[in-house]
Amino acid sequence: MARFVVRRVAYSLVTLLILSATIFLIVRMTGDPVLLLAEASASEEDLDRVRHQWGLDRSWPVQYATFMQNAFMGELGKSFNYRLPVSELYFQRLPNSLLLGLSATLISLLIGVPAGIVSAVKVNTWWDNVAKGVALLGLSIPGFWLGLVLILVFSVWLRWLPTSGAGDWRHVIMPALALGWYFAASMLRLTRSSMLEVLGSEYIKLARLKGLPDVVVIALHAFKNALIPVFTLAGVNLVVMVNAAVIIEVIFAWPGIGRLLYEGIFQRDFPLVQGVVIMAGFMIVGINLVVDILYALIDPRIRLTR
Amino acid sequence: MTRGHMTVQRASRMLAVVLLLIVAATAAVSLAASTARGKLVLAWHAGFASRWLDPQEHDGTATPDNFFTALHDALVKNQGTALYDHPALAERFSVATDAKSATYTLRKGLTFHNGDPVTPQDVKFSYESYRGAKADVFKSKTERVEVVDDRTVRFVFKEPFLDFAILFGTANVAAPGWIVPEKYYKQVGPDGFKQKPIGAGPYKLVRHEPGVKIEMEAFDGYYRPVHVKQLVMQSVPEAATRVAMLERGEADLIYNVPGELIAKVGKLPGVTLAPVLSGSFFLEFPNFQDPKNPFRDKRVREAVSLALDRRAMNQAETGGMGKPTGNWINDDVQYAIDWPEFPRNVEKAKQLLREAGYPNGFDVAWVTPLPAFYSRGERIIAQLREVGIRGRLQTMERGIFFQKLRGGLKEWPGVQMILHGVRIAGSWSFWYEANFKCGGSNSRDRVCVKDLDAKFEQYEHSVNPAERKKLAEEIQRAILENYYLVPVFRHAFVNAIGPRVIAQKWQDVFPTITTGYAYPWEELKVKE
Repeated sequence: MARFVVRRVAYSLVTLLILSATIFLIVRMTGDPVLLLAEASASEEDLDRVRHQWGLDRSWPVQYATFMQNAFMGELGKSFNYRLPVSELYFQRLPNSLLLGLSATLISLLIGVPAGIVSAVKVNTWWDNVAKGVALLGLSIPGFWLGLVLILVFSVWLRWLPTSGAGDWRHVIMPALALGWYFAASMLRLTRSSMLEVLGSEYIKLARLKGLPDVVVIALHAFKNALIPVFTLAGVNLVVMVNAAVIIEVIFAWPGIGRLLYEGIFQRDFPLVQGVVIMAGFMIVGINLVVDILYALIDPRIRLTR
Repeated sequence: MTRGHMTVQRASRMLAVVLLLIVAATAAVSLAASTARGKLVLAWHAGFASRWLDPQEHDGTATPDNFFTALHDALVKNQGTALYDHPALAERFSVATDAKSATYTLRKGLTFHNGDPVTPQDVKFSYESYRGAKADVFKSKTERVEVVDDRTVRFVFKEPFLDFAILFGTANVAAPGWIVPEKYYKQVGPDGFKQKPIGAGPYKLVRHEPGVKIEMEAFDGYYRPVHVKQLVMQSVPEAATRVAMLERGEADLIYNVPGELIAKVGKLPGVTLAPVLSGSFFLEFPNFQDPKNPFRDKRVREAVSLALDRRAMNQAETGGMGKPTGNWINDDVQYAIDWPEFPRNVEKAKQLLREAGYPNGFDVAWVTPLPAFYSRGERIIAQLREVGIRGRLQTMERGIFFQKLRGGLKEWPGVQMILHGVRIAGSWSFWYEANFKCGGSNSRDRVCVKDLDAKFEQYEHSVNPAERKKLAEEIQRAILENYYLVPVFRHAFVNAIGPRVIAQKWQDVFPTITTGYAYPWEELKVKE
């Protein structure tokens, strides 16, 4: 088990290193940020001064080494645009993103899981067709369009909810729904296929042969086992929603990490983009690591075969 | 009556007078404070950059004045119809007849938001430590800054500096005249200042969520009455969301209503559209002097102008709220000349092309509009196709566009056209210097007309205002008559005003002609 854990941790570190190098290179390939930092009529000397001030006049390997050195110390650099440490900005926005992400996850689970179960249990009936239709809509309706429609209906026409921004619970409903809708569809599809697989298994057939009522078979025997991949996906989805809900956060002017990333990209704010991506990567890799270890603890075959 | 009794009586009277004065002063202060009422929310159309809260790092664009004018104040500034000389912290100023010095006198009793007095030393510090746009110009031309007395400061120049007043007083060009408190600035440093700026403007900062929201409160110590108690500026990048905020009463002012939403916003009850004339769009022909370039022929450049349907462009892009213009330089700057709108005549354009040896037209490798005004580029391509000029649209990210502009001619090989969109306040010369002069910050080596540059050099060195005006007009006329640049139209920065804002007409909220923003903020009023 110890060897398994060490190996997984090493894989995770390598993944993070590759991620850091990739994002470091990608942001620099977009062009010179100084042109967006300095005034339009700045002289070459002014531009050089700004480059020097931000350490952009050094070679890329030197910049990368400095970035990694600081990252290991927990310092992700200072944002060009906000003149604040990236970690401070990130943690300022994190509570909002967590709130949005958790709410959207909850919505996706509340819609996706029951609908997926009903769809699997009533397979090839009109229930199933409706559920598949919902899944199709969920995956094909763009989040920005759904967001705007929600604003129009619930804020402008009905006047029930505020249009945008963060504040009390009413501010969370629409962005969480717009964000959770897409993930609800993927939850629905996964729950359905997972339930169908479990419902076709030998032990379920045995349970039925024993004469157990359908409710008991589905709730106690099938549901529990079918949920494992669903909750794994929910965990990964949560990290994505927390760190990359860019469009929804922009539409609803939600002050989260996704919007921070969006602003960073538009301003070529290298430290900010690098920092947000690294933190997102850290979360995803961390969650996957924990899940892998838990799987290995639960099922010894996993640690033996990998 | 004894002498002692008289003294007591006099003392009592004096005490009564002092008490009365204190009561009157308190009443006046509380009256001033109580005049500010209500809350005004502005939905800002982009993200916020912290440097926009620090005049010391003015980035030379129009954007920061939206924030400066609330939190900070300048000695003199552009406000209302005053292009650069509206007295603000300075009650008066004078420029020496030889243009070798300028003297400013502060108003009495000015304070910053933290209660510290605004002093000539703060003025000197703000000027000397200024490192934003045009800082090099001010530094190279200034010999020293003298604190004359407790209210007077004098700038002494090495040589006649005729553009000083106009550069110094135009907020969207440079900001060495915007005063920051020396002691506080040094104490918190530039980055700390950007998070918690303290100024002498009509509003003081209450809360700053970087990139999200700026909450401000009326500053009782401001020298003019401030009418709205709370001013909130909220970043809402999505236009449809801004419109929904206005419709629902969550925002009182929204900036930048895009063309496709103008008609809808115009029909909202109680909402007023504010189409502020903004930047000028014009066409440039990089490397037109090259003998192989069709644009070398004046007739071809004129044909381009004749092919353009400026009114259709204005209608489609800004709901007809912009202005098809004659001059590529805005008319709200010093020495800009009036020029009639260029006509549209497709037949004449075709004829000119035939005469120039292009009966079947020719291909333009790329037509590149200022990002993200791509639809304007598409319209120009469609209009030019009617006369046989076939172009292809080139789009790029904004940063790359400016990078390529700065790269000069090598970045624009072959036959190309650039659709610029520019807004610069102050003087016509800033436009020429940046966008036409050979070696200019944006024009680089793409446009080099030596005789005009020579005249501009003469203009720069002249200390005779009449001669400068004459030269300015000659140069502008030559550019237009020769179609070196082809003006298209003046963009309207369309904003909208909600029903809570008290205004008879939109100009009451947007009275400053040199900006698209709603300042002076202190003059805005909202309903209870």
